[in-house]
Amino acid sequence: MIEVKNVTKTYGKKNSEFKALDDVSFTIPDGASVAIVGKSGSGKSTLMHVMSGLDHPESGEVVMNGIDILQLKNKAVDKFRAEKIGFIFQSFFVQANETCFDNVALPLEINNLSTRARKARIEEALLTVELTDKTKQKARNLSGGQKQRLAIARAIVNKPSIIFADEPTGNLDSTTGETIEDLLFSLNKQGGSTLIIVTHDSELAGKCNIQIYIKDGKIERMVGNGVSTIEEVQS
Amino acid sequence: MKTVDIARRAARSLRNAKARTILTSLAIAVGAFTITVSLAAGEGARQYADKLISSNVNSQALFIVKDKTIFESSTQQAPIREYDSNTSSRNGVTVQQLTQADIEKLEARDDITSVIPTFSPTVEYVRFGNNDTKFVAGVAAFDPSILSEVSSGALPSLGTQIKDTEAIVPGSFVGTLVDRGIIKNEGDLIGKTIAATATKATVTPTADQITAAFVSGGEAAVQALVKPETKVFTFTVVGVTKKSATALSSSSDIQISANSARAITEYTTQGTSQYQKYFAATAIVKSGVDPEKVKESIKQDGFYAQTAKDLQGVIFTVVNTLQGIVLGFGIVALIASVFGIINTQYISVLERTREIGLMKALGMRGRSVSRLFQFEAAWIGFLGGIIGSLIAVVLGSTLNPWITDTLSLGAGNSILIFQPVPITFMIVALMLIAMLAGWFPARKAAKLDPIEALRTE
Repeated sequence: MIEVKNVTKTYGKKNSEFKALDDVSFTIPDGASVAIVGKSGSGKSTLMHVMSGLDHPESGEVVMNGIDILQLKNKAVDKFRAEKIGFIFQSFFVQANETCFDNVALPLEINNLSTRARKARIEEALLTVELTDKTKQKARNLSGGQKQRLAIARAIVNKPSIIFADEPTGNLDSTTGETIEDLLFSLNKQGGSTLIIVTHDSELAGKCNIQIYIKDGKIERMVGNGVSTIEEVQS
Repeated sequence: MKTVDIARRAARSLRNAKARTILTSLAIAVGAFTITVSLAAGEGARQYADKLISSNVNSQALFIVKDKTIFESSTQQAPIREYDSNTSSRNGVTVQQLTQADIEKLEARDDITSVIPTFSPTVEYVRFGNNDTKFVAGVAAFDPSILSEVSSGALPSLGTQIKDTEAIVPGSFVGTLVDRGIIKNEGDLIGKTIAATATKATVTPTADQITAAFVSGGEAAVQALVKPETKVFTFTVVGVTKKSATALSSSSDIQISANSARAITEYTTQGTSQYQKYFAATAIVKSGVDPEKVKESIKQDGFYAQTAKDLQGVIFTVVNTLQGIVLGFGIVALIASVFGIINTQYISVLERTREIGLMKALGMRGRSVSRLFQFEAAWIGFLGGIIGSLIAVVLGSTLNPWITDTLSLGAGNSILIFQPVPITFMIVALMLIAMLAGWFPARKAAKLDPIEALRTE
């Protein structure tokens, strides 16, 4: 369960102060798929950064498995991200010069896994996203959809409990985008990891169990939460 | 993140930027090349000097003087001294000399087998065979402790004196003697006689002596009194020396036995204050006794000595100074390349902002990010070191025979000697320096804010 309690994040100094997040609170059950929906500048990306421990709000709590990650020291936050979180970005951020294998290896290397243990995990992840035949190819030779699949493999290889996807289909055509969406949702249902998608695409948001609409740093409305219990999510 | 994985990623990202990596490491290679050559040249020069000394100088030999100023730097001004009949002027510096009593005192020691004073025999002129042409030539005592090589004739083995009637002629005389028709070729010189005419020091006669001479023999007797007395010493040539690469003595004096040198010296200095006074003496320390100990022991008696090792030290000081200068150039080149590394790595950090952001977002520690960039710098240093030393070794090994030939060092001697251990040390040092240079860009990378780095626009 992820609990976000009274999170406030401001940018800028006194006169030009700007509240990116204004007293935001909500709860997400484990294993759910959540869409954080809002226009650009609404604070949805900041919310993702705060929830993943990348950004530090002035006040509030982000409690995961009973631990407030905002209270953790830098080292512990890094460890938390390395072990529990996977990221998928709009512009993929795969390393073009590296092979698919080495791209997927990065989170495991950060987690100090031995070379042998890594190999099996990487092969499994690449099989899941159907990129086994590209294992030794450089990432620059992949198409957009393949790059995003590679990014998904990198996000899931560590078996994280939460996957953040920031506009995962934003740079893809609709057909490829749909393939990626299907992949993400099927992984969410099988793997049991919580999927949090940040998007302005209401169609994609509609496919999630929970939608959190955010505007000017505040939660405008929340659909699905409270209505859908944990049992419903898991069914 | 494991060190191995960081090093591997660092190597991979350098491979992906081959041109930049090679150009940066070439700057280090220049420094590495210079340092490798200076190390090799220093080692070569030291080994050459070592060989030179050990094959030429008896390691048991002591070079003894009475005046320690002889061993001190000649560039210093010496203070004025009180007159003493035992002093002489040498190179403009007044020095205390060894007396016959000193020599006897040294000879009496049971840790010294022999003492040969350095004689300074001078002759007016020399004649070869029956020819009347007079030549000016220096005469010196043959030093049996120094190896000479002959191109004609034969020499006694190292440590053995030549006979008193024998002489050794430098090869450089041959050309003139052939031109003058005295000999047909070098071989002709062997067995030729040398007549050396020495002049006794003139003693100004007193007025009474002149009067007495005039009374007894008239004007002729007076002239005979004032005319310097001369004596002819005759020798037979037994060898013609050649200039050798590993021989220290490149003497252009006619060499005669120590006894003959003593005879000439004593004849020419008889009646003067210089009679039986010696600038220095060479003593041979009994085998099994450390010359260094004897050196310390005779110091108490007022003698100053240099061992063969000290002689080595003098040459080594020169070699080390020269090596230091070349090494200095190498270090200057390295300092320049350090800025190259800093610059390259800064650009690399800027280029890879997103990669760094991603790694940090994925939970990579700032320290690991910093290490990644430092390892890249270390790889550049390693590459530069390898390239530079490899070029130096290949080039040096190829040119060594030519250098040996040009400097006429003698076959089998190389002036560039490459040793793996110092080169390895140098490469490790280069890696450390490169890592140090990479520290600034690495810190910038470590401090990068992942949110800023990952902004898509």
